[in-house]
Amino acid sequence: MPPNGKKGQAPAKPRRDVLASLRMASMEEISKPPLPAEIMSSIIDYLGPVDLIRTARSCKVLHEMVYDDTRWIGRLKRIGCWDESDARRHIEEVYGTIADVDTVEQQEAAGQEARTVPVIKVEKDVSAISDGFDKIDMSNTARATNLLDDAADDPVLDVLKQARSIRGEARQEYGKIHAALAPFYDNIGSNGPSTENLVFTQYKDPQAQAKILAQLLNFSKCDLTTGWTERVDRLERAVSMFETAALNEFRNAYEKDDIDATMRKYAHILWTLNGGSSSRDLFIQYNHLITRKSQLGSVADCIHSSGQIKTQQTQAFFTRLSVGYNEEVSIMNRVFPSSLDVATPFMEKVGQDVLYPFLTTIFDELHQSNLESYLTAISATFIQCMNLSESLLPIRNSGDKFEQYLDSVVCKIYEPHIDLYLAEELDHFRKISEATVSEWDRQLSEQAASTESFLMSNVNRQADKRDFLTSFKKVIMMPVNILPSFGTKTEAKSDSETNGNPVAPKSPNRFSTISSPVTPVIEEVPTTELAAKAAIMKTKMEGIRSLFSIEIALGLVHSAKSSLERAAQFVRLGGGFGRAAKQQCEAIFVDLLRTLGHRHVIIGFDKAVDHLSNYRPREQDDRDSSGVEPLVTFLELVNVGDLILQMVDVFYEQELIGTRLTDRNDFLNPAVKEKKKFEQMLDERVAAGLNKGIDVLMEEVDYILATRQLATDFNPGVSSDPHRQTMDVSLSEAAIAVVNVVSSHTQMLVGSTDKSTLDVFNQEVGLRLFTALCKHLKRQRISVEGSLKLISDMNHYFKFVQSLRNQELLLYFKAFRELAQIYLIDPSDAKELATIIADADRFQGIWRVEEVYEFAERRADWFQVKSGVERAMYGAGCSVM
Amino acid sequence: MSAPITLTSSDGVEITVERAVAERSILIKNMLEDLGDSGEAIPIPNARLPRVLTTWQVNEAVLKKVIEWCEHHKNDPPTAGDDDDNRRKTTDIDEWDQKFMQVDQEMLFEIILAANYLDIKALLDVGCKTVANMIKGKSPEEIRKTFNIQNDFTPEEEDQIRRENEWAEE
Repeated sequence: MPPNGKKGQAPAKPRRDVLASLRMASMEEISKPPLPAEIMSSIIDYLGPVDLIRTARSCKVLHEMVYDDTRWIGRLKRIGCWDESDARRHIEEVYGTIADVDTVEQQEAAGQEARTVPVIKVEKDVSAISDGFDKIDMSNTARATNLLDDAADDPVLDVLKQARSIRGEARQEYGKIHAALAPFYDNIGSNGPSTENLVFTQYKDPQAQAKILAQLLNFSKCDLTTGWTERVDRLERAVSMFETAALNEFRNAYEKDDIDATMRKYAHILWTLNGGSSSRDLFIQYNHLITRKSQLGSVADCIHSSGQIKTQQTQAFFTRLSVGYNEEVSIMNRVFPSSLDVATPFMEKVGQDVLYPFLTTIFDELHQSNLESYLTAISATFIQCMNLSESLLPIRNSGDKFEQYLDSVVCKIYEPHIDLYLAEELDHFRKISEATVSEWDRQLSEQAASTESFLMSNVNRQADKRDFLTSFKKVIMMPVNILPSFGTKTEAKSDSETNGNPVAPKSPNRFSTISSPVTPVIEEVPTTELAAKAAIMKTKMEGIRSLFSIEIALGLVHSAKSSLERAAQFVRLGGGFGRAAKQQCEAIFVDLLRTLGHRHVIIGFDKAVDHLSNYRPREQDDRDSSGVEPLVTFLELVNVGDLILQMVDVFYEQELIGTRLTDRNDFLNPAVKEKKKFEQMLDERVAAGLNKGIDVLMEEVDYILATRQLATDFNPGVSSDPHRQTMDVSLSEAAIAVVNVVSSHTQMLVGSTDKSTLDVFNQEVGLRLFTALCKHLKRQRISVEGSLKLISDMNHYFKFVQSLRNQELLLYFKAFRELAQIYLIDPSDAKELATIIADADRFQGIWRVEEVYEFAERRADWFQVKSGVERAMYGAGCSVM
Repeated sequence: MSAPITLTSSDGVEITVERAVAERSILIKNMLEDLGDSGEAIPIPNARLPRVLTTWQVNEAVLKKVIEWCEHHKNDPPTAGDDDDNRRKTTDIDEWDQKFMQVDQEMLFEIILAANYLDIKALLDVGCKTVANMIKGKSPEEIRKTFNIQNDFTPEEEDQIRRENEWAEE
C-alpha cells in the first residue's frame, strides 16, 4: 500500500500541522488506518478470534483483512482439521481443472474410494452458506459408530471431524468449531481443572467427556493470545486428571477381570482422549503375564544337577507362556480399539521381561558349568522360541508385519548370545574333533610302542630258526580273523547316518575297521629276532587299517552334523546374524574336513604309503596264497578312505546344499574349496599308495616266480622222477599263485576308486606283470615236452588279463601265447621255427626278431636246432639274395 | 568492528552507539556492509531514499527510544526462521518489553514505524503485539478511535457482519 501523508492525532509537531488540512480532507473520502497495511495485518495476526471479528466490524479495509481466508485456514490447520488435498479436490469438483474436468472427476471418484479418513462430502452449494453457525446437518456424518457413545446425537462431540476443508469458507468452519468448543475451553482456562468444569457437568458420559477433552486439546493449539500457556496448562491438567481417573477404573477392572464391560469401555475412552497409549502402557505394565512370570517356571527346574539342560522343562515354560500370552491377546483384542497397536509393545515387553531374563539366566548358568549343554540349550530354546511364535495368536490388523515383528523380538532376545554361541559352537566342535583324533593317535602310538617294545624285549638271538616259522605263521594268521568283526555294524551305522548312502553294495568285511588298533599277536610271543621284526612289520601293516577309521570319521561327522544343525537354526533369523550363522556353518564344515582329512585320513594314508614302501617281502619267506598283506591292507584303506569321502560328500549335500547354507556353484566358497582340496589330496594319496603298491605287488610276483617255478615245470626231461607223466598239460603252481595274487589285488580296487585310476592301475599291473614274465621266461629252459605246460600257463595269464578288460594289455599277452608256440616245434623243423621267429607280425610288433630269437634260445634243445634255425633265417635269406 | 557508529536523526541530532547495537537494524547493518568502514556519519533517513525521507521520519525522541531497545537486546540471538508457520505465534511479551512499550499511543506507532523502516523484526513484533493487546476486548467503535479510522460501513453492512459471526459474541 502506498504510504499516504496522513498521520495520527499528533498536534504537537508544527510540521505536521501543515498537513493537517490535507489529512482531514482525505479522511473524509476514505478511512485508512494510520499504520501501513502490512503492519496492521501483522497486528491482526496477534488477535484472538473474537477480537478479530470486532476489528472486522470497524471498517472495510480491516474487514477485508480479517476475512482473508488464509488467516482462518491457518487456524484450522493448527487445530488439525484442514485437509489440503480435500480442499483442492473440492475446488476442482466445483470449478473443474484447467486441463480436463472429466478425467479429474474420474480420478476423484477413484480417490474417494481409497480414502480412509472419513471426510464429509459437501453437497451444498457453496454460496448458500452465509451463516457460520448454521446447524450441522447430521445426515452427512461419517462418524465411527460407537456403542458406548450414548450422546452420539450431540454435534458438539464430533465438531472437529465435521469440519470441512473448503477454500473461502474456512472462517465459517472455524466459527462452528469455536461456537462448540470455546465455552468449554474458556471454562477450563479461567477456572482451572476441577470436577465442576463445564465439560464434566454438561456431559455425564465419560466417553463424551473424553471426546470433548480430546477436541479441546486440539482446539487449544490455535489459542495464541496472552496467557495461552496458562490456559493450555490448565486444560492439560484437566485432561490428565480425567486420564488418571479413567486409568484407575481401567486398572481396577483388569484386576477384577471385568474385561468386556468396564475395561473395554475405559480403553475406548482413553483411546478417544489421546490415543490410549497410557492405557496400553498400564495394561502392559501391570500385565498378569509379566507380574506372575515366576509361575511360568523357574530356571532351576530347567537345569539338571549334572548341568544338563532339561528341554522338556523349557518346553513346558514356553507352552505355559504361549497359553498365558494367548489369553492376554484375546483380552487385548476384546478390550482395545483395533487401531490401537497394543500387541507389539506387549510382545516386546514379554520378550524383554519374561523370556530374556529367563533364557539369559539359563544360558549364563550353563555356559559356566557345561559347555555342551549350553550349546544344546541355545539352539533348543531357539527352536522352542520359534515354535512359540508360531503358536501365538495373531493380533488383529497385524498381518505379515506380525510375523516379522515376532522374529525381531526373538532376534532381540538372542542377539546378545548369538555371537558367543557361534564362536563356542565352532570352538567346541574343533576341540571335540581334535580330542578324538588325538586320542586315536595317542592310542595308536601307545599301541605301536608297547607292541614294539614287547616284541623286541622278547627276542632271543640264540633261538632256533624253526621257532620263527611257527610263531610267524601265528602272527600272520591272526589278523585275518579280525576283519569281519565290526563290518556289519559300521555299515549299518554309515547307512543310517548318511541316509541312503550310494556306496551300498559292498561286502561288509571290505571296509570294516576296528575301533582301536588291536594287536592280536601279543598273546603269541614271537621269540626270534626275525620273527619279532616281521611281527613288528606285520603289526604296522595291520595298523594301516588302524591309521584311520570309519568309526572316528563317523563320530566326527556326527558331531559336525549336530553342531551344524544347531548353528543352522539361526540362519533363519536372516540379516547379519543369519549371515554370521551361515559362515559359522561353513566354518564347521571346513573344520570337519580339516580335522578328518588332514589330521586323520591324509596322515593315515601318508603313514600307510610310508609303511608300504618300507615293506620288504623278501624278509618273509613264508607266504600264504591270499596275497601281499600290506597291499591288501592298503587297498582296504583305499576303500575306507573312499567311504569316508563319500560320507563327507553326502554330508555336504545334505547339510550344506540341502539346507541352502552354501551354494554349490560358488567356487570361491571356503566350504567348497576345502572339499575339493580334500578330494584332491585323497586322490593323490591313493595314487601314491597304488604306485608303491604296484612295486610291492611286483616284487611279490617276482618272488613267487623265482621260488615256486620248479626247473622241471617246463623241462620235465631233467627230472629225476621216474614216475613223471609225459606231456603234462596242467598249470604250473607258480602261474596259479601269480594270477591269484595279482587278481586278488586288482579285484579289491573295483568300485573303490574311480574308473580312470583303476584303468591306469590295471594297465600298470599288466605291463609290469608282462615284463616280469618276460624276465622270468628268459631264465627258464623249456623242452618241447614242457612247452605244453608253458602254453597252458600263458593261457592262464591271458585269461586273467582278459578279465581286466584292457585291449591294449591283451595284445601283449596274445603275443605271449604265440610266443609259447616256438617251444612246441619239434627240433627237426628248424626251418619252420625260423619262420615263426622271423614273423614279427605274429607277435603284434611287441618284440623284435632278435628278442624272439633270444626267447628261442631258451629251448632245451637249442644247440641242436640252432644251426638249422640260423641257416633257415640267415642262410635262406642269403640264398634268396 | 566495534568502532562506534554515529546515527543522525531526522531532526539533525547525532547519536553515537556501539556498532553491535546499531546492527540490530538490518537496514543499518546492510548499509554498513555496503559503505564499508568509511567512518562517515550515517544520516537517517538517508538521502538516497527520498520517498521514505519525506514520509516517515525517525526523529530524535523515537531514535533514542529505538536505540534503548537495541541496547537492551543487543545480545539476543538472531531470530531464525521467523516465517515458520508451525511456530506458535503468541502475543506474549516479556516483562522488560512490556514496560518499554508503556508509552503514549503516538509514540507506540512511531516506534512501530521506525522498527518497520529500520527493519528491526523483533521490535516490530513487540510493537504489533502491544497494539494487539490494546485492541483486545475493545468494541468496533473503540477500535476505530484507536486507529483513527472512520466507519465506512452502512448500518446494514455492519449488521450483516455481526450476524455472520454470531459465534464470536460473548
